Amino acid sequence: MQRTRWIGAGFLASALALTSCTSGPAGADAKQDSKAELELWTRTTPGGPGEKATLRLVEGFEKATGHKVKVTAIFDDFETKLQQRAAQRQLPDIVMNDVTQLGAMNSQGLLREIDLSKIKNSQDLVEQGLNSGKSVDGKQYGIPYSAQAGALLVRKDWREKLKLEAPRTWDELAALATAFTTRDPDGNGKQDTYGLAAPLSTKRGYASWYFSNFLWAAGGDFITEAGQGTYKPSMTSKESTEAMRWFRALGCDDKVVQPGAVTMDTPPTNETFEAGRTGMFVVGPYLMSRFDKSLGKDKYEVVPMPKGPKDATVLAEGGSVYLMAGSENRAGQDAFAGYAISAEGQRLGMEGVDGSTVQLPVNKTVDVTEVRPDPRWKTYADVYRSSGRYAPSIPNWTPVRQTTAETVNALMADCSLDLGEKLRELDTKLAGILQEQGIAG
Amino acid sequence: MTSLDQVKAAAGPAAGSTPPARRGPAPTAPRGAGPPVPRRVRNRRGGRWWTPWLFLAPALILFLYFKFIPMASALTMSFQEVQPYLGNRWVGGENYATVLSSDGFREAAWHTVVLAVGQTAGSMLLGLTLALLMEGQGRRLGFVRSAAFLPVVVPIAVVAELWRIMYHPTEDGMLNSLLGLVGFGPSGFINDPDTSMVSIMLTGIWRGAPYDMMIFLAGLAGVDRGLYEAAKVDGASRFQRIRHVTLPGLRAVLTILFILAAIRGLRVFTEVFLLTNGGPDGSTEVVMTVIYKLGLEQNRLGVGAAGAVLLFLATLLLTVGVHLFRRRGNE
Repeated sequence: MQRTRWIGAGFLASALALTSCTSGPAGADAKQDSKAELELWTRTTPGGPGEKATLRLVEGFEKATGHKVKVTAIFDDFETKLQQRAAQRQLPDIVMNDVTQLGAMNSQGLLREIDLSKIKNSQDLVEQGLNSGKSVDGKQYGIPYSAQAGALLVRKDWREKLKLEAPRTWDELAALATAFTTRDPDGNGKQDTYGLAAPLSTKRGYASWYFSNFLWAAGGDFITEAGQGTYKPSMTSKESTEAMRWFRALGCDDKVVQPGAVTMDTPPTNETFEAGRTGMFVVGPYLMSRFDKSLGKDKYEVVPMPKGPKDATVLAEGGSVYLMAGSENRAGQDAFAGYAISAEGQRLGMEGVDGSTVQLPVNKTVDVTEVRPDPRWKTYADVYRSSGRYAPSIPNWTPVRQTTAETVNALMADCSLDLGEKLRELDTKLAGILQEQGIAG
Repeated sequence: MTSLDQVKAAAGPAAGSTPPARRGPAPTAPRGAGPPVPRRVRNRRGGRWWTPWLFLAPALILFLYFKFIPMASALTMSFQEVQPYLGNRWVGGENYATVLSSDGFREAAWHTVVLAVGQTAGSMLLGLTLALLMEGQGRRLGFVRSAAFLPVVVPIAVVAELWRIMYHPTEDGMLNSLLGLVGFGPSGFINDPDTSMVSIMLTGIWRGAPYDMMIFLAGLAGVDRGLYEAAKVDGASRFQRIRHVTLPGLRAVLTILFILAAIRGLRVFTEVFLLTNGGPDGSTEVVMTVIYKLGLEQNRLGVGAAGAVLLFLATLLLTVGVHLFRRRGNE
């Protein structure tokens, strides 16, 4: 009897102890300790080459500065796990994640403002990269450490067989895509090839992500700045409408986009390019190592995106170093950001055969060919510096991308829909999203 | 006997710790005096009121931490703007308003109902047919049954990839080449807003039917053989035997399958997410994909929680409804 009572008491006590765990002390203004170990979270597959590359970078940092860093790689549900840490008020000190996460993390109060004068080498950053780390109010909340931009992959063997040039304008792009679709470039006697590979699923907003390369080159925009950190929707502008009409014609009239595109995200789309079913694909440099293996380096070439009605603007993306709020080692955080963008850190980040933390360097003094002699990397680096454009750092970019993806997806899936009406609907939705985020102009 | 006496009597030997030797004489002793029977029961099974709770405690504490507390916090979250670091802000019914007024939520709810009804009916019908065909003891039947059960065991990600290949929208696609043989033009399947819903439903039925079949088989084993023979003697046709003997015999099985399938149908997510993610043109958007987009992709956990609570209420209503309906039918 006595024993059971104790067991019961034990259960009750452990239950209470567990409950009390959930409410720890707040760590907004933590006591500073420049010797404290830094905890770093990076969004990459645990145990994969990305994590190894991060460990290499961190090792270099530890040697150079004497700070200690513990690396945790997380891929799935990164944001959710970060939220859990936020609930415990114990954020990691440093997070290496996508640039587009800035708005979301900042509006949740997870980031601390960065004083650029305390970040070594920040004067060497590429300008659009530096700006990608600013929030709508112009304050610095992220330091980009890696960048990438889209370029056009073209099946060189097909193009040469058909005796055509690599496209330099949109018209040439459409013509080459038509030729790839109708003139049997693989010579198997069947009409089973298509001009352009496009992931147009709504998943994670892929359709919008891919279309932005065409929208911006036409001078259009999803939302445009209306001054003082406010935005207004602009998918019904003349340029945006024209871009959508042209892109839609590729799928609806010319039928040069791979069938099934509207339900494909990137993995199946990559497969169509590898399997020789599509002849062109706008992608970032990270896919080259894969295509070199699966398709062969001699089979395809990398060219800058052809010039659209306005210019050749492409979507720039990349990763940023975020310095999280509540850290007890702010000096260490600053030092890491400074090291990640230093010439040494950037070179170290680019090393590695399978995985690297740095795709394209963001430091103006670093030339990509120093580490990667392959001229295709040079093409990518040039495209990024001359035509790369980031998505704006509004508080939450995801709903904008999702909503535009749904419209692009709908217009590509159903060729009978009225383009103007759909875009007007989209603008109304975008206006609502901007309103909700408090940045409507 | 006062209630206090009862407590005292019960306080004696606790059920768990009573040695069997002392139990022995108890039944014979108080016979004839007062109302002995209830007291005897109390003496033997009683003990402190909390003794049974103590035995249930391990399970209850696990449930508390892994079910009830998360559910309660999800309910609270659904009334809050969740920002763990800055502190959650109470917003009342705003999250519910966001979900209910969100673009396409009503359409998604309708799609969910259509998909749930179609998949439930399809899987049950196909499952019953398969079960009737494969009922029996033969060794080969066992093999065929296992083969038919395979879709349930295959991971859903593989299933989705498999069907994506089968649904390839050109003439040389797997299903399209079959359609071509009988003179039908290539269908867009999941890529065409007009056929995407049916295609997803078909995949769901393909996956759900064998599961239903297994439960039907178990139910069929419980139907009295004698009834079949009696019906046969009475001159009932094969169809009549199914209609008047098999189906009534499977009543309980049908109800449980219906509830399970309907809940599964309302919560449908993975197939849709992997095959179309609600597209093309929102034609396959279901409640769960909307919740996923609003709550998790946009990282607005309060809104996601509100959606989940709504879905939970719908499921609860459905389950209770079916139970009531069934009880009334039994009376």
